[in-house]
Amino acid sequence: MTGSLCLSRSIMAPPVAVSPLIKTARWSALLIGMLYGKQRFDHLKPIAEEERKVEEAEKKLREEQERIYKQLSEASSDTILK
Amino acid sequence: MAQKVQKLVAKVPTLLGSAVTYSKPRLATFWYYARVELVPPSPAEIPKAIEAAKGLIRSYQTGRLGQTTVKDAVSNGLVTTEVLMWFFIGECIGKGGLIGYNV
Repeated sequence: MTGSLCLSRSIMAPPVAVSPLIKTARWSALLIGMLYGKQRFDHLKPIAEEERKVEEAEKKLREEQERIYKQLSEASSDTILK
Repeated sequence: MAQKVQKLVAKVPTLLGSAVTYSKPRLATFWYYARVELVPPSPAEIPKAIEAAKGLIRSYQTGRLGQTTVKDAVSNGLVTTEVLMWFFIGECIGKGGLIGYNV
């Protein structure tokens, strides 16, 4: 594998031995991030569902009111100039 | 139109082949470095990491941290930032998306 590397580019630096502190910090940060993301998602999901239901109900109410308003306005605007 | 689509579909295997030939040595390079640098710590290294963390706290308490050169401080700051960014990558994996929570 090293042979094919030296062909295509200049001599590359050998891989660095990363300190164990940095390694543990990185991978624990990854783990904590995954847990935090999952937890926050599970927390936000029912809240969003609630909001969607409320929005749905309000929308129905608004459309109902608009329908009534339109009917009333059509009924009251009965003129011979239609 | 149909002929153009046919020509495009005929080109896909060659495109895939050239993509593979392009990416193979680069993937090999990546794997060559990642196998040493990006691996998770083995169980034997975790006590060493805890020791190093304690050493850090001690050097902060004795005030030796104030004697780091600016160059060292900048490079340490960059390494710390990189470690913190892994948290956000983990969060993206946990929430199942790149931008925002798809609730």
